[in-house]
Amino acid sequence: MIKTRIEAIMNPAQRQSFVISFTAFLSTLLLLALVSVLALIIYRGVAYFWPAPVYSLTFVDDQTEQAKAVYARVFSEFHDQGDAVRLVVYSSSDAPHGTQALIDEDRILTLVESVNSADITLNDGLSVLGVPVQIRASDNVRYSEQAYASVAEKVSSIEQQIEDIRTRWLSAIHQKLSELDVRGVAMDAPAREKLNDAFRQWQNKIIKLEDQRDNYTLKIAMADGTTLSVPVASIEEIVFPGQLGVWGKVGVTFGHIGQFLIQSPKQANTAGGVFPALFGTVMMVFIMTIIVTPFGVLAAVYLNEYAPDNLLTAIIRISVSNMAGVPSIVYGVFGLGFFVYVVGGNIDALFFADTLPAPTLGTPGLFWAAMTMAILTLPVVIVATEEGLRRVPNGLRAGSYALGATKAETILHTVLPMASPGIMTGVILAIARAAGEVAPLMLVGAVKFAPNLPLDTEFPYMHLDRQFMHLGVLIYDGAFHSQTDAEGASMMFATCLLLLLVVLVLNILAVLLRARLRKRYLTN
Amino acid sequence: MLKLFEHETLDVQNLSEEETAIRVEKLNLQFGQKHVLHNISMRIPKNRITSLIGQSGCGKSTLISCFNRMNDLAPDCRYDGSIFIGGRDINRRKENVSQLRTQVGMVFQRPNPFPMSIYDNVCYGLRLQGIRVRRYLDDAVEQSLKDAALWEEVKDRLFESAHILSGGQQQRLVIARALALKPDILLLDEPTSALDPLTTLFIEELMASLKKRCTIVIVTHNMQQAARVSDYTAFLHQGKLIEYADSDTLFTMPEHKQTEDYITGRYG
Ligand SMILES: Nc1ncnc2c1ncn2[C@@H]1O[C@H](COP(=O)(O)OP(=O)(O)OP(=O)(O)O)[C@@H](O)[C@H]1O
Ligand SMILES: [Mg+2]
Repeated sequence: MIKTRIEAIMNPAQRQSFVISFTAFLSTLLLLALVSVLALIIYRGVAYFWPAPVYSLTFVDDQTEQAKAVYARVFSEFHDQGDAVRLVVYSSSDAPHGTQALIDEDRILTLVESVNSADITLNDGLSVLGVPVQIRASDNVRYSEQAYASVAEKVSSIEQQIEDIRTRWLSAIHQKLSELDVRGVAMDAPAREKLNDAFRQWQNKIIKLEDQRDNYTLKIAMADGTTLSVPVASIEEIVFPGQLGVWGKVGVTFGHIGQFLIQSPKQANTAGGVFPALFGTVMMVFIMTIIVTPFGVLAAVYLNEYAPDNLLTAIIRISVSNMAGVPSIVYGVFGLGFFVYVVGGNIDALFFADTLPAPTLGTPGLFWAAMTMAILTLPVVIVATEEGLRRVPNGLRAGSYALGATKAETILHTVLPMASPGIMTGVILAIARAAGEVAPLMLVGAVKFAPNLPLDTEFPYMHLDRQFMHLGVLIYDGAFHSQTDAEGASMMFATCLLLLLVVLVLNILAVLLRARLRKRYLTN
Repeated sequence: MLKLFEHETLDVQNLSEEETAIRVEKLNLQFGQKHVLHNISMRIPKNRITSLIGQSGCGKSTLISCFNRMNDLAPDCRYDGSIFIGGRDINRRKENVSQLRTQVGMVFQRPNPFPMSIYDNVCYGLRLQGIRVRRYLDDAVEQSLKDAALWEEVKDRLFESAHILSGGQQQRLVIARALALKPDILLLDEPTSALDPLTTLFIEELMASLKKRCTIVIVTHNMQQAARVSDYTAFLHQGKLIEYADSDTLFTMPEHKQTEDYITGRYG
């Protein structure tokens, strides 16, 4: 009916141009959706690093019904049943590390940007908004950037000394003591006494140094006139957003991005950096690639080169393509039920029986996560590789056989190199899929917080049994903070942006590699 | 008729064992239900060029593929009868096919260089035999390319991809690749059908010069070519060997009506 109506009002030429403009409209819509997703993530992600202005705010407190002066950061303004409401995070004398509040617009008395106040980030990820006024050392000095810098330098040199003592002396003594333990030397042997004495001496030295270090404090004035003393050693960064020009802010932003990449998360993943998650994600993807590529390629070679052309092969092919459509959480359940409980549990029972019931491999960890993702991405690699194998001209195979090559030699020396662009295509798709999956990983080893990286200086260096952090899990975690925590929510966007970049970089690497292979194995 | 090399003409029907490179006896071949070669018996003389002619689909490619057992690659191929090369029946079950193929080289209709450097292409067969000594490979590459009359054109770009070569150069590269294994017999399946007349002439001269070193069997659709380059010619029709004689005789005084019809162009 609609069709006849359209035919009635348009001639064929009009109809064609209508179809074209309609499809163009749809593609534009799609592109717009994509761009707006990207724009939101990039905007919110970058905003997390940008030094936000500090306001001096006075408002009427809901509880005391009295005016309260604070330094605050203002996040957003929205309307709640007709009333304008602002989301702010402020530092006050009773809660210097920030209180998050929704404040009605009509309860706000003044709101002006404060030039003097600073955003002071502490080592533990918390931050204080206030005006640094005085540095206390042996004598009191008025706050200035130079004075602070010289004090900070002194503090860090003291910390360096403490660190030196710890690594050079204390751990050496510790080692000697444990050697004595191994040799079974008596508890009151003189050698032991001597070492214990030395240990105590160094420890006293450290305590002294720590006292000396904590003597240096920074006095911060809050908006209501009260002051707060913070040890200089616990301060990570002082930024005056109101005093920075655009380029200064850009510099600070890059500094923040750097810290974001190398630090660990703090304050339950709402502050600090994401290094362990970045590392975990990349390492998981690498291990997965190492596992999935040979398996996928071998399976594809079997299916395409060796398997007889019969019903069974057809069934296998169909199952492989269908496996690509199985929801990822199902793979997660499979990984947990099979790899972790059955395989890991049996390995534990066989080889690590002495530590049971504490599991060694029978618990979620990086290796099982990589295995699960390998199974999940296997169909992609198989299908793409088979496609690549099918494209190898039969003339080349014949040429190889005619020179005395066996089937295996032909596959190894001629067919596989020529199919390598196809294989790379599969690997690219697998990487893109694996880097973005979260749900199955949460069942088999990715956690919100892992105390240790899966790679360190401790033997055997690579700890594939450890649980690991993952950018996707961090984002998932961040999404739950987003309702209550303004900064955590921004960190989620920053993590999102990073995850996109990781996928992008991995993809670009793989695409470049494929382009090189294509050029090399181009046939006429 | 112009001949590049003159020598005594043998009677192919009564070749002695020493003069025979390939002896085919009662060869029958089927692809599934399709009977392609019927009871073929023939002797192919050593150090001569023998051409196979016949209509498209008559079984020429299939026949020369029997000489290095390339038909084994077709899953539904069955054959019986014997083919003697170097005194042994290559149709035996326990024949070492890889080794046979190094002894009996083959060049296909379309040039099929591997997507590797020119050097690696020529070395492919040698490397498969486990030869890794650089000096030996270098020498073999140079010699084979010289034998295939390609050395002068490629000696400065041995390590560039073989795909930069022209069609005729590629075909000579493929011949060099086969020659690197020092085969006793070289099978050429329409080696010039994709090439221009000048390049064709070049390859024909090459064949004539290779005659000293090996026996050549060539499949061709080009009557002039068969007459020009080959010493002996076999005419196949629907899988049967109709006539087999020295080329002069076959092209000037064919015995059979079918042969005459074919060479005078009365068949397709
Ligand atoms: N692998 C195969 N499976 C089934 N039939 C085949 C196969 N190869 C060849 N044939 C059939 O065998 C017959 C002979 O083929 P062959 O390739 O030997 O012909 P030819 O004489 O070389 O023809 P042309 O001059 O066109 O190359 C043809 O009818 C062909 O269809
Ligand atoms: Mg043919």
